[in-house]
Amino acid sequence: MIDRNQPDLPDGVATRALELNGRRIPFQAGETILEVAQRAAVEIPTLCHDPRLEPAGACRTCLVEVDGQRRLVPACKTPAADGDKVRTESERVDRHRKTLLALYLTDHPKDRAVAERGAPNELLDMADRYDAPRNWGSMTSSRESRNGDRNPYIHFNAETCISCARCTRYCDEVEGVSAITLANRGAHTTISTVESLSLLDTTCEMCGGCVDVCPTGAMGEKMPLTRHAKPERELTKVRSTCNFCGVGCQLDLNVDPEAENGHGRVVKVTSPPAGTTTNDGNLCVKGRFAYDFIHHEDRLTMPLVRDESGELVETSWENALAVAAAGLQGVAERHGKDALGFVSSSRCTMEENYLIQKLARAVYGTNNIHQCAAT
Amino acid sequence: MAGLVTTFGAGAMTNSIGEIRNADFLFVIGSNTSEAHPIIAMEMKRAVRRGATMVVADPRKIWMSTIAEKHLQLRPGTDVWFLNSLAHVICEEGLADEDFIAKNTEGFEAVRETVRRYTPEEAEKVTGIPAEDIRWTAREYATTEKAGIYYTLGITEHTHGTDNVYALANLVLMTGHLGKPSSGMNPLRGQNNVQGANDAGATPIFYPGYQRVDDPAVQAKYEKSWGVKLSPEPGLNLNIMMKEVGKSIKGLFVMGEDVVLSEPNCMELEKGMNAAEFIVVQEPFLNQTTRFADVVFPSSVFAEKEGVFTNSERRVQRVRKAVDPPGHAREDWRILIDMANASGARWAFESAADVYDELARDADKFSGISHARLDATVSLPKTGLQWPCPTPEHPGTTFLHEEGILRGKGLFQAVEYRPSAELPDETYGLLLSTGRTLYHYNSATQTRRETGLDAKQSEAWIEIHPRDAKKRGIEDRDMVEVTTRRGSVRARALYSRQVQPRCIWMPLHFAEARANLVTNDAGDPVTDTAEYKVCAAEVTKVEESAAGVGLYPGSFYGVDAPA
Repeated sequence: MIDRNQPDLPDGVATRALELNGRRIPFQAGETILEVAQRAAVEIPTLCHDPRLEPAGACRTCLVEVDGQRRLVPACKTPAADGDKVRTESERVDRHRKTLLALYLTDHPKDRAVAERGAPNELLDMADRYDAPRNWGSMTSSRESRNGDRNPYIHFNAETCISCARCTRYCDEVEGVSAITLANRGAHTTISTVESLSLLDTTCEMCGGCVDVCPTGAMGEKMPLTRHAKPERELTKVRSTCNFCGVGCQLDLNVDPEAENGHGRVVKVTSPPAGTTTNDGNLCVKGRFAYDFIHHEDRLTMPLVRDESGELVETSWENALAVAAAGLQGVAERHGKDALGFVSSSRCTMEENYLIQKLARAVYGTNNIHQCAAT
Repeated sequence: MAGLVTTFGAGAMTNSIGEIRNADFLFVIGSNTSEAHPIIAMEMKRAVRRGATMVVADPRKIWMSTIAEKHLQLRPGTDVWFLNSLAHVICEEGLADEDFIAKNTEGFEAVRETVRRYTPEEAEKVTGIPAEDIRWTAREYATTEKAGIYYTLGITEHTHGTDNVYALANLVLMTGHLGKPSSGMNPLRGQNNVQGANDAGATPIFYPGYQRVDDPAVQAKYEKSWGVKLSPEPGLNLNIMMKEVGKSIKGLFVMGEDVVLSEPNCMELEKGMNAAEFIVVQEPFLNQTTRFADVVFPSSVFAEKEGVFTNSERRVQRVRKAVDPPGHAREDWRILIDMANASGARWAFESAADVYDELARDADKFSGISHARLDATVSLPKTGLQWPCPTPEHPGTTFLHEEGILRGKGLFQAVEYRPSAELPDETYGLLLSTGRTLYHYNSATQTRRETGLDAKQSEAWIEIHPRDAKKRGIEDRDMVEVTTRRGSVRARALYSRQVQPRCIWMPLHFAEARANLVTNDAGDPVTDTAEYKVCAAEVTKVEESAAGVGLYPGSFYGVDAPA
């Protein structure tokens, strides 16, 4: 398998080369023009492409010029050929991009405030980058949305959908559940489910991959929207490791640092780009959507000690620590050190597991330290 | 883990997650991958889509079995019979890698001798798997170069869990499927930091990095490093410790685990907790265990702290603080330092990075890794570093045993089939298994506080075969009582053909229907891991039960999906 992030191919692998904007770039059999360009850090715009998916060649933004080819070719779907002379920037390519993007914009909100309520909008970014005309008028297509879908997480905004099918292909090819599909034809093409059912009643596993791959935020997250969270661009992303199963998915906690009186609030979780982490940009329902527990009202905010009446009551840290230490030391004095047991947690960090075993061994003198996972 | 340490010398996935997609044969046993490890399932789906062959061995029909070439629906607890019969075929048909065995292993002859009587025909009688399927699986596994085994708690949570691991390891060793990409033996870890917790020494027999507490040299090293006298007596493992609570264990310090909900046969544990003299619990939420606490420290969740987690593939990755803990809650590592200092120690760590550095100083598997080095890997193709990583220049280790098996020689372990500790009888006619679902997580302190996950699965249920249900006068979605020798719980009965006749299955996540009130705490003789996967149970209808709310099975939507 080709490592997309390897700028230079290992010796002996590359036996062929093409010319990209006049530069000679070696490549391996089977690579597409887009893959070669990405490895050489030459930008080719894409909307429907995702490295996890089979190329679709649907959006036409990646068209490039290849000498000897009468028409522009889609870089995502065209295998690189030895000796190809490829141009990603030319008068002809530029004219094509401007025209194409201008056409997309006729059926798209041009105002960022409207088009970017959820995630950053790649189409608008691209239109800015290539200086596409925005005055070609408006031809709003009548895509059906599923506003009645009572699923709690995933929202479909037909207005910003460009029918690139990244979401449906992800659902088929990566998650493998085929819960969503392209429905209807032509300008009516939309993203739907069997009989327009709620995602809750389909094979959907709520992984949110459709949200992640959508270039325009048409597949979006409900919770940040209904809670009026700031747009994603104004949030701070903190890269961390998921706290559920043992796969160790990398995720970005999207934090509104001003919320909670400046203590910060996690308002969304997004996945890092495909190809950069163990999870390849994928997350499951828990990793992507189960973050409300962080700020849940049931969280403990004060140390508690049990009073004479048997109730747990709030107290200071100083007192709680003194009571805890005296209590454990008392047990050790009365019954010996091995009358103490320490239970650690595979949910806590490696540092915390180190400290608790050191606490058990070095401070309390017992090896009675374990956690739930030793099989 | 104990099983793998014995046979290979290291208890971890031998391959990396990224190698799964390139495998040509995937043998998935005792792992409901799409629900318990959805992201690994995506990699397996990718491999199958690419043309790899997958075989799923599981008593239940699961999502993965719907795309598998074969689903070997064995009777719960008959794993050793099944695995030994695979070994039998490999030996009989000359498929063993004699060269690899001679160079890299010891103890093969005993295994060859033992498996001689485990013929596929006899295995069919015990396991219910057709003999032809056993032969086919053995041949495919043995003759495919990139063949990997993936397993989880369906293998280990038995009284013969370690035997199951040995039997699997025997297959790996006799076919030489080790030390190569996409070819090895891979336990998928259930919690984010199972690997890291064990690596860091939160175990009764090992200091950090699997250095034994009863090794005088290791003891001397840590006594010097920590400046205190240390005990050479191995401690109690968790299952025993929990049985001893209130008896020989009078004081308990529990960090981040709801033991009362998670441990088997929890009625006994509750009695013990009441009899204990002093209990300290460190938790972000009140839970079943805090009911017994004398002191509760309010702790933090992952988004509020710095540190590292180590995943299933030994990859050490950073956890970063994104927000402050609420109110006066503190990070767990700070609380532990405060607790040590309140108990008379003088710990001077100022950050989680300081703690990591001390850990790595005395455990060379991790010495080359530091917070600073991990932070520098963020923008690289892959984040994190895989141990062993002994020096700051070391690139980390993608798959183990490449330059020979870590133990020196891989150790074959001949194992004989032993029945599960408690099997159905006249009084308790059904076999109960427990497990996870996609939408909740362990004791669900976190996930049941998510409205969305609760919308998908909001109450406890059991899966029961319609034939068994009808015999007991139970309609689909009736409220039932599940009873075992240890207690009973109520749950909604769901007609299901995912389970075999005479078997029932229930998820473990629901506090109001604690599966572990009924599970068996009989332990494996080596690890003492409890037999969560097999016990005898009976189900009766509860009269006048309210109508059920929305009920959704896990990720299974096969042709025989529940009615």
